[in-house]
Amino acid sequence: MPDRDDPAILPQHFAAVAGRNMAWITKNSATMQIEQRDEPYLDDALRQELEATVMPRYPTRRAAALPVLHAVQEKHGWITHQAITEVARFLDINVTEMLDTATFYEMFHFEPTGKYLIWVCQSISCELLGHDGLLDLVRDKLGIEPGQTTDDSRFTLLTAECLGSCDTAPCALINETLHENLTIENFEQLIDSLD
Amino acid sequence: MALSEPVLLKRIPTPPWGEVNDRRLNHIDDYFDTGGYEGLKKALAMEPPRIIDIVKASELRGRGGAGFPAGMKWSFLPPQDGEPRYLAVNADESEPGTFKDRLLIDYDPHLLLEGIAICMYACQLDTAYIYIRGEYHQQAKTLQFAITEAYENKILGEGSMLGRINDRVPHCHLHRGAGAYICGEETGLLESLEGKRGWPRIKPPFPAVAGAFGRPTIINNVETLACIGPIVERGADWFKSMGVPRPDGAPPTAPASYGPKLFGISGHVNRPGVYEENLGVKLSDLIENYGGAMRGGKRFKAAVPGGISMGVLGPDQYDAQLDFDVGKKYACLGLGTAGVIVMDEDTDMVAVARNIARFFSHESCGQCTPCREGTGWIYKMLCRIEEGDGTTRDLDMLLELAGSMGAMPGTTICGLADGANWAIRTIVNKFWDEFEARVRKEPHVSLAVMQT
Repeated sequence: MPDRDDPAILPQHFAAVAGRNMAWITKNSATMQIEQRDEPYLDDALRQELEATVMPRYPTRRAAALPVLHAVQEKHGWITHQAITEVARFLDINVTEMLDTATFYEMFHFEPTGKYLIWVCQSISCELLGHDGLLDLVRDKLGIEPGQTTDDSRFTLLTAECLGSCDTAPCALINETLHENLTIENFEQLIDSLD
Repeated sequence: MALSEPVLLKRIPTPPWGEVNDRRLNHIDDYFDTGGYEGLKKALAMEPPRIIDIVKASELRGRGGAGFPAGMKWSFLPPQDGEPRYLAVNADESEPGTFKDRLLIDYDPHLLLEGIAICMYACQLDTAYIYIRGEYHQQAKTLQFAITEAYENKILGEGSMLGRINDRVPHCHLHRGAGAYICGEETGLLESLEGKRGWPRIKPPFPAVAGAFGRPTIINNVETLACIGPIVERGADWFKSMGVPRPDGAPPTAPASYGPKLFGISGHVNRPGVYEENLGVKLSDLIENYGGAMRGGKRFKAAVPGGISMGVLGPDQYDAQLDFDVGKKYACLGLGTAGVIVMDEDTDMVAVARNIARFFSHESCGQCTPCREGTGWIYKMLCRIEEGDGTTRDLDMLLELAGSMGAMPGTTICGLADGANWAIRTIVNKFWDEFEARVRKEPHVSLAVMQT
């Protein structure tokens, strides 16, 4: 814990421990530059697929926001502002409404992430059984803090709230796979085994 | 008295009836072979209101945390008016300590789908959305596969045995969340389903009247719906032969705690896992007979009865009876999801409180000021106390702050802050000495400890 009397440190530190982007922390969008590319993120093939499979499930277009964002993120790894704009048009809503929805959810990433997303569960059962050793291992081994990505873009470390696997605590999610009953030793082997 | 046969875990081998290593996914053929979808067939031979009567008579209470009687919830629906009506299945299991719905989805998804089909028919709901939390990647795949199987076997969809419901083809869709605890709150879930941020709504109107897309909607937890098939198949009296009746002298309108319940045990026990027992089982029984006793032979110190929102049971409450009245009897919020987290004598309760406070400050949706600010302040104060920089005044402020936020004190829209409120207050009050020993004394007498 840094010196709590240092006003410059506390808010940052708090944000880092309490979560990466808390929903109510506003971002400096006035001076933000939005990168544009000619090729759309939500391309015709994806649009057609979504129109055929996802859109008929819901009585409004907006209701498909989460499935569409999941599909875009699955394809590109993260969600750019241009993608947000395209999804908003696709769903017939304002870009601001889309941004409002998308930024609320922890699993959507608005910055590039590593090839492997390591979510270490930090809720109570995992803390009781030693999740901090797992976090320290990643810190030491890969040199990243929660919320950061390694320079070679291979790993992103994130902290998760309860992954619903308290009986096999401590646990971590790496991309879509849950890893249970972790120890510092088997977690290190696991990270080593990722190419 | 122990449960005589597994009900919800009939197809999921679990001690004392089976071995965890024998577990495997039950496909629809396995489900049919073991008496599956019999409840649905029986239901379809009845008039829909009769099914609601059976569920009402069983006094099944919601297994998602609040314990609201499911049959009563169903009967709040207005008459059909020709427009769509929805079922929202709450599979957004995010309460720390809770992992029972994941087990049902992992190994016996058709038990859930049978409950969904019966509920759709009984309440005349044409479309069901299963809202599953985003972190459950594997479970979403399993469930999607099971839904496809159900469509192929004419359980759901065009030309299925449900026929037309509310004059529409009955459909069931999977909807994945994206990492937000608050979407497990019923109206937060509806907002999220509509493609918005998961901010809970002010009630009334209740979802049964105006829910998803402004239409009548029933929201039930996975485990609640999993109980429906067996209840319809075997009757309300059979269901009421399990669990505990209402206490003597209680009015007949007071809900009792009937039926079996999935208890998730985690923390400092030898054999953590999900076990099925009668409602009203003693905490000590769960720990010793199911959880394989305390890890390393340590002494019991505290346990969370059902997800961290419910607060804690202290060392003198080792024999607490876990039913829906647990809150009144043992000064905690309630049974919640029955995700029991056991802590041994070496546990630092200040660290536990800090962890729980962090969870709530992180998961607060930010809509109501007392919760958004209060949970953050509580977290910072507990960090300070843990560092050894707290004072007695901090403890008073902690209790005052916690006690002033939540839907029960009437300062927030939903119950998230009540969870933080009860968790923090019960820990601080039941382990006052531990907290007091960690703070710097001030010439200031604490009165807050008087109010539990």
